[in-house]
Formats: sequence, structure tokens, C-alpha cells
Amino acid sequence: MSYLSKLNKRLNERYDGRVHATVQNGCLHLSGELPDWQEIVRAGHMAVDKKRFIGLVNDIRLEGQQIPPMRLPDLSDDALEGARPDVLVIGGGVTGCAIARELMRYRIGVLLVEKEHDVAMHASGRNDGMVHPGIDLRKGQTKKKYNDLGNSMYDTVCAELGVPFRRIGQYLCFYKTWMKPVIRASQFYWKRMHIPVRYMSSKELLRHEPNLNDEIRCALHFPTAGIVCPYGLTIAYAENAVDNGARLSLDTAVLDMEVAEGRIISVLTNRGRVYPKLVINAAGVFSEEIAKLAQDHFYSIHPRKGTNMILDKKSAYMVKTIASPINSDKRKEAHTKGGGIVRTVDGNLLVGPNAVETCERENFETNRESIQKIIAKHKKTSPALSDRDIITYFTGVRAATYEEDFIVTFGKFTENIIHAAGIQSPGLTAAPAIAVEVAAIAARYLGAGRNDSFNPIRKPIARTAEMTVEERNDMIKRDPAYGVIICRCEEVSLGEIRDALHRSVPCDTVDGVKRRVRPGMGRCQGGFCGPQVAQIIAGELGIPLEQVRKAGCEGNLLLGSNKEAI
Amino acid sequence: MIAASYDVVVIGGGPAGLAAALAAKKEGAGVLLIEREARLGGILKQCIHDGFGLVRFGEKLSGPEYAHRFIEPLLETDVDIATLTFVTGIEKQQGSYAITLVSREGINMTLAKSIVLACGCRERTSRQIGIHGRHCAGIFTAGAAQYYTNILGKLPARRCVILGSGDIGLIMARRLTLEGAEVIGVYEAKPTASGLMRNIYQCLEDFDIPLHTGKTVTRVFGDGRLEAVEISDVDDQMNPIAGTEETIQCDTLILSVGLIPANELAENLGIPLDPRTKGPVADQNCMTLQQGVFCCGNALHVNDLVDYVSESGETAGREAARFVPGERIFAELKADDSILYIVPQKLNLLDLSAPAVIYFRSASERGKTSLTVTAGSKQVYTKTFTVLRPPEMERIEIDFSGAGLKPGDSIEFSLAEDQ
Amino acid sequence: MKQLVCIVCPIGCRVCAEEKDGQFIISGNRCKRGAEFAETELTAPMRSVCTTVRTIFDDVPVLPVRTKCEIPKKLIPELIHALAAVVISQRIGIGETVLENFLGTGCDVVATSNMLKSTGKKEDAHDKSTGTDD
Repeated sequence: MSYLSKLNKRLNERYDGRVHATVQNGCLHLSGELPDWQEIVRAGHMAVDKKRFIGLVNDIRLEGQQIPPMRLPDLSDDALEGARPDVLVIGGGVTGCAIARELMRYRIGVLLVEKEHDVAMHASGRNDGMVHPGIDLRKGQTKKKYNDLGNSMYDTVCAELGVPFRRIGQYLCFYKTWMKPVIRASQFYWKRMHIPVRYMSSKELLRHEPNLNDEIRCALHFPTAGIVCPYGLTIAYAENAVDNGARLSLDTAVLDMEVAEGRIISVLTNRGRVYPKLVINAAGVFSEEIAKLAQDHFYSIHPRKGTNMILDKKSAYMVKTIASPINSDKRKEAHTKGGGIVRTVDGNLLVGPNAVETCERENFETNRESIQKIIAKHKKTSPALSDRDIITYFTGVRAATYEEDFIVTFGKFTENIIHAAGIQSPGLTAAPAIAVEVAAIAARYLGAGRNDSFNPIRKPIARTAEMTVEERNDMIKRDPAYGVIICRCEEVSLGEIRDALHRSVPCDTVDGVKRRVRPGMGRCQGGFCGPQVAQIIAGELGIPLEQVRKAGCEGNLLLGSNKEAI
Repeated sequence: MIAASYDVVVIGGGPAGLAAALAAKKEGAGVLLIEREARLGGILKQCIHDGFGLVRFGEKLSGPEYAHRFIEPLLETDVDIATLTFVTGIEKQQGSYAITLVSREGINMTLAKSIVLACGCRERTSRQIGIHGRHCAGIFTAGAAQYYTNILGKLPARRCVILGSGDIGLIMARRLTLEGAEVIGVYEAKPTASGLMRNIYQCLEDFDIPLHTGKTVTRVFGDGRLEAVEISDVDDQMNPIAGTEETIQCDTLILSVGLIPANELAENLGIPLDPRTKGPVADQNCMTLQQGVFCCGNALHVNDLVDYVSESGETAGREAARFVPGERIFAELKADDSILYIVPQKLNLLDLSAPAVIYFRSASERGKTSLTVTAGSKQVYTKTFTVLRPPEMERIEIDFSGAGLKPGDSIEFSLAEDQ
Repeated sequence: MKQLVCIVCPIGCRVCAEEKDGQFIISGNRCKRGAEFAETELTAPMRSVCTTVRTIFDDVPVLPVRTKCEIPKKLIPELIHALAAVVISQRIGIGETVLENFLGTGCDVVATSNMLKSTGKKEDAHDKSTGTDD
């Protein structure tokens, strides 16, 4: 019996004939209708076979529920009409922005489009910022190749881009005495996987991390793990790309493509039709939509959301680096590393994430159950962990394929598209490596030479709170605005806030300022500084205060002036 | 220009700090008052409603008018005032405190023999009370909404839900109504209202704004701007009860769910805090457990009446000016579970010349109640109250000079129903 | 029978008041002022009103004001409307009149803040800037 017939037999049994598998153009296609999204995902995982097929396309419809369509920007104009970039990069997450920057090392004209009002608004701004050692990755996985390479690039990339990065290492913690020899022996496994590791006794662990649970019997220390601010890195990549001549168009969504004879001829956006030679699909949870428009549909994305919480800096003493429990989720469908407690690069603690399959690609809602479960899970690692220290929480949605691996390849049916898709975790770690590779194959495809005037260095916005007294004094003498503290919790000055509004990637919202220079990230969550930041934006950009937005194009902070409603 | 050293440095130019600076000056100290905003007055600048000063001045003043009663005389003195100045660090050095300041002039350092922490408090946020959903625009703490309305002259809401029946929420209910907004209702998780009764009366009842107790906001909905909130009933542990959810359409959620004293400076100095007040443990002269560091106003514990804030500021300022390093001998002031907290937590037995001013809050709403204060087997003080409510802090004065207290003694405070 | 909360002083006595055969029956008040308050509440409730008025000045977009005395509660909406039309064009200070003799009640509306005024003795004590524009 062929794989296909065996598969269809299993699907028939489980789904009463409602789901059917076929092979089309070397891809496995699932079709039919099911009332439960979790089952649709399950069917996909049942069917997938990386060796036999180019990819899995899961077209099973969700019965009785409308999957929300992609949120489109409010904007509509012809700012991009007729543009002819060499490369159109679709998606302003860390993958797309990194690719755009690496493309500028060649003499290539780049247009980067992003449908939100800022870069890093989706998964790239909603994750734990970990640069992974690659503990759970297996040989042969595309994500392992790029994770390990990307991890090794982080020191250089972050130094060039002026982004704080700390290689603080990660502890995987074990509680059973009988596991000690097993864990000790496992070091050989990691060494074969080329992942530096060291076995640690509980005594040694507690010397490094005195506030972890003293019931921990032993640990594995992975020194190559690190932390970075994921949206800070994304913004830095984007700024460096633009500084080097890339064109960035925010609030720009791809609506349609003209494809003929296996080539993309043009791409229609809400800001006009563009004619790129090459398209790079880095559209995250919407990469499947782009693949469909490009007539190069050989994979499907099943979104998987994850929630993280941030704890007050006062509780950061609990974990100095990264501490993770052994992944107790034995379910094959879990597909999660299990998360941990992370000391972020800004000095907070981050706890999470969890993983929940969802059909909603842009549902960033948090909920009580996730928070409670995450705390319960990680409380064992650090018993002092308490929900009383939570200052905020957020949810991101991972773009996962059914193969649970990255897709970094030219199109299978359409010639002039490169996919950098299915970038779930460890996408952040892998981004620098994916970007270099994609840029190289793009340059080869276009026959482009190197750009000798490429400047890899990006000067970040100076953080006065971290300067020496002399440096800070000098800055203030040059511009007294650096001596006016607007955000008390994070010690952010007026000068820095103004700087954030005048960078090469546009920023004009309260949240945009927050992501760049941190006012509102502290324990009062913008209670004091929020109105002041709004005022500063209005003043710097010459707009009325009522027009200042919190986040995107909609979302007015204020609804009018006093007395208007009287 | 900031001098190289002062006798007293007051951090915070709100009502507590203003009173402290004046009191310290009155004792002849060299005083520096530091304020991070451009104008003095602290939160009073935006509290344009009246009701301030009934106790202290016998008048019903607005916030700015009350502040003016302190700012005007302060400007007549030679107290150095540094506005738009922020304290980035305090270090204990030999015999004094080295304070690092950031301002438009640059980084400065000054030395102080004693410090008064008068930094006020901050507002509890939506995430701290577990509101979930997607955080869109239109969710404000009451103070931020008040700032937009009263300082910037903007309208933060047209149709709003207010969560929390604390005074700020009640005041904003009235304020927004006067600006033409619709306040759909005030929701309170506790079984009884949190604010002063007279504010319930003149802010809600006057405008027919309903108050719903035993309910909280659990979720928020909206993409760019808030569109609706989900309200749930809560049990007596204040946990939401599944199945009781109702959705209310609105464009604004205003949160008045508690104030938290801002004590980062104290914590950085290693000064112990009282978990019940979230402010530093202090003696009857407002000195914390660290010699020469005083604390007053809302940074010490959250007050309801600014009159008491000024009183604690005066005590702190006066004592900071008089401060001479030396051992203190403490008796402990302890409250049982009938009392939410008492301030001060320590009694310095070496200074019982004046009666000790003590503030406390009842843990629950009570009718006719007696407060009994005992030291050992001896009753030191008693007072009867007709009604006690947690949101209404009480002030008493106790003369401990004749109580024969010894070091380490425990002075017990307890409330009991009056027979 | 009406349940009132006396707003005269911070104690906030809960007062029960009713009018019967031209007589007032009041209980729950701890002092004479409470009784007076209750009587007025039942017949012609009075309130003080605090709000803001717009100005022409960028550094102080709105100025806090209040009624100098109490006005009949039922006139509050009219007062709010009248004040919505007021725009301050001079740098007035605490106590200066913004609206005179509202509706013949004899009650003025006055400014309650010195935010508009230039600095006093100390140049930096009362910065006119809000710190956000230097």
C-alpha cells in the first residue's frame, strides 16, 4: 500500500471521510472540512512527510467559523506606483529586515514592505529574546543549520548594529538524583551536535544561581545561549538597511500578484503596483498567503501562539541568566522548547512562553489561564516566582509549518521568489544566518556585484542612564534635553525620546517610542510618562496632540479637546 | 545653582515635600528641595477639584490652591529649589548622604546630613490586576486621564467605564461627566466602595452614575481603540466567577485600582519596607530605620487627606533638620488583623516629649468600635469610633511618656466591637 | 426619607433626613452644620463646581477654576456651558475672576492656579515650560 493510501485510510478512520489527501505537483494536499481547528492541525501533523513530498499544503476548511482575514492598513495611495526595485522584501520582522540589510552588501535596489505601522510588530516584537544554543534541534533540520550559524554571528552583528547582546548561558535543570549519571553522559550527545555544554552539580549551580530551587539535583549549562532585545535588533537591522539605501514602506500590504509563465511580473500593494525582479517572502504568519499569490504554494502555516510575562526588575535577582526546566511536555504535538525564566538584556525577568495552536494569525490577546499555567510551570525552578511581580504580559504568534522546520529556498514552481518562511523559534537566533544566505543567493540570481560603500555600522540612540558621568555630562552640556528625565521608572530623557522620532525608520507613536528608548516599559507602565511622551511626539512632529496614536494608524489616544463634547 | 552640601535635602515637591522643606527651613536648616517636574505642587497640580484643607485650614480648597499655601511661603525663603531635576542615586558616605542629580545643568552631586523622601506613589496598572485581552488605546489609569483632562485640556474619553471606586476614580467620574463624556458606571471588586463617602455622594449620586460592587473588568476588546470591556462578578477572594461575564461597549476604561508608594530610592539604600504599607518602616518622627533618612506623605503610606500628608511632611522636615546621628531605642507598634496597618511602626523611646501621631486603617467596615492600645498588661489608650471604614484613615495622638515603656516592648493595637 | 452623606467636613456623617408637615426630621449628623446641610439638600441642594477653562496660551492650555461659593445644583449644566465659551487671554492668577456673578446668583468663578503667572522670587521655581519644550 502506498504512503498516500495508508494515509487516507488513517484519515478516513479518524475523520469519517471528511478529510482527504492527494498529491499535486509533488506536494501533499489535505482537503475537506472539520469543525475543530486542533483537529485540522492534528491531521496536518499526521500527514506530513518531509522525505516524500516537497511540502504539505493543508486546505482543510474550518467548519462553522470564519478565520479572520488579514488586517489591512487603513491607508490607500500610490506612493509606490510603478516602482521597479531589484528585490521586493515582503515582511518587516527580524527575518525581512535582516535580509534587507544583507542585500545592501550588494549593488541591489531593495524595497522592504511591512503592513503594520512599524517593524517588529508581530512575532519579532513578541518573543523572549533568547539566542538559542539549539538544544532541541536535530541534524538535518534547516533550523539547526541556521540556528547554529546564526548563534555564532550574534556578537559581530550586534556590535555592528549597536544592539546590546549578552551571551549569558542557559541552565537546564533536573530534579531526580537518578538522572545525574544520565545527564552527565548526555554531554557526549551535545558534543556530537556541536553544542558546547557542561554538566553542573547542584552545588556549583547554586554558586552561580543562588536563588534557584535547592531541590535541583544537577544541571546542564549551555554557554552559547544569549539574550537580545528582539524588536531592538529588528529596528537596528531596518535602520542599517535604510541607511545603506534600502527603501522602507510601512503600512504597505501585498494584495495581489501578477504571475505569468512561472514568473512574478508585478506585485499589487495598497500603495501601488511594483515591478520587482525578485520577491523575498518573509511574511511570517502570512507567508502562505504570499506563496499562494505567487502561485508557489507548497506549504501551509499553522499559527501557534505563545505568551510571555515580564516581571519587575526588583525580582530580577531570582535568576541571573536563563533557567529552564526539563521539558515535561511529552506530547508530540507540543513542539515547544518549554520556555524558561530569562534575565532580559534590559534587566527584567521574562517568564514563558507557552504554546497554543490557533487559527487566528493576528490574535495577540492574553488570557488568565496562560499566565497561571506559565507561573505554575516555572515556579519550581525559582520558588520565589510570584504573579505579584508581573508588570506586563504579551502574546505573539509563531509561523509554523507542518514540517516544523524553516523554509529557506527558491520557489518550487515560480522562478523569481525566495521564501524565508515558517520561521518559528529559533527564528531570532537564525535570522543573521538566514539573511546572509538569502542575500547571497539573491545576489547570484541577479548577477549583482558587491556594494563597496556598504556600511555595516549603525549608531544606536545613546542611553544616558548607562553612560559614565563624564559622557552623560557632556551630552547634557551639548543639549540640556538629555538632562530632563521623562520616564522615571527607566530613567529615559527627553533628548532620547526626541532622538527616537528622528531616525531612518519612521517612528511617530507612543509604542514606537517605547520600543526604541523604553519609556513605559517600567513598573508604572507609562502611567506618568505616557501623556508626556504623547506631548513630545506632538511637539516634535508638529501634529495636534489628538492625532498622536498609541500604536498603529488607528488607536487614537485622545478623543478630542476639552469642552468639545459639552 | 546647587550647593555642595545641605543640612536637609527633600526629594519631591508635592504637598509632602513642600511641607517638609518649609518645616526644615523653620528650624534653621540649609535646605534643598528637588522636584522632577517643571512646577512644584506634585499631583495637586492636576487635582483641580475642591475638598482639600478642611482639616488644616478649615476651608474647602482645590488642589492647586492648597499647594499655593505652601509654595508661596516657600518662595519667600532661601530654600534652594531644583525643578526638572531627578535623583539617580543616593549613597551613604561617612556621616552624610551623597545624592547624584540629573538636570539640564548636567550631573551634579550634593551632600546631605539628612534626607526626606517625599516621592509620592504610583498607580496600580491593568496588568497588575490581571486584565487580559489586547491592550489597545483607551485604557488609562485615573491619574493619567486626569493629567490629559486637567493639564493638557484634552478629552480622553467619550463613553467610559471606571474600574475601582477609590477617590481618584470617583473624582474622574464627575470630572469627565462635566466635560461631556458619558460615564457608564463605576465598578468595584470589593463588596463596598473604596473612596470617601462624601465622594460617592457628590461624584456618583449627584450625576446618577451607578456604582456596582463585587464586579471587576476581566477582559478588554478593541483593535486600535478600545471597543468594549468584559465585566465579571468576583467572589470574596476577588477572583472572577466564570459564567458571570457581561460585555459593555465603551471607548475608554479608567482604572482607579490602588496606589503604590514609590520607594525605589529607599530600597536602593537597603531601607526595610513594611509589606502592609509598602512604605518604609518608620518611627514617630518619620525617620526610617536608616539614620538620617526620613519619609513622609504617600511614599510612607497612602493617605486619603492631603492635610495629613502635610502633617507628616512637617514632622519629617522638622526632625530631619534637628537630626543628629545617634542610637534610637525602639518599642514596636503592632496591629492585629482587625487593622490593615498602623504608621509609625516603631516608637523611639528616647523622644517621648510630644504625643505620637498615629495613623491607622481598619481592615473592615465596622460600626461602633473601640480601639484599645496595650503595652504588656497595661492599657495605654482607648478610643471609641462610631464608624470605621478601610478607605478612611484615622488619626490619633497618644502620649506614651507615662507608659513606662522599655526597649523591645510591644505596643498592641486592636479593634473590637463596642458593647 | 433620604440618605445623605454630609459633605461639609471629612467625617462624612451619614444623615437621614425627611420633611414632614413642614418640619425637618434629621438624624445621624454630629454637628449643627450637618443639620443645615441636610435641610438645604432636601429643599435646594447647593454645590461648588470645579472645572477648567481654555486659554490661548500653549504652555497652559487649560486653567483650573471654581465657583467662589456654592450654586444651586440644578444650575451646574448651565454653568458648564457658560464656562465652555470662556477663553482666557491674560495671564491671571489665583483668585482672579473668570466669570462674574453667574446667572445673577452672586457667585463668581475664579482661577485656582498661578500656572499662567510668571515666576516668583526664584526663576526656576515655577518654570512656565512643562518640561517638554525647552
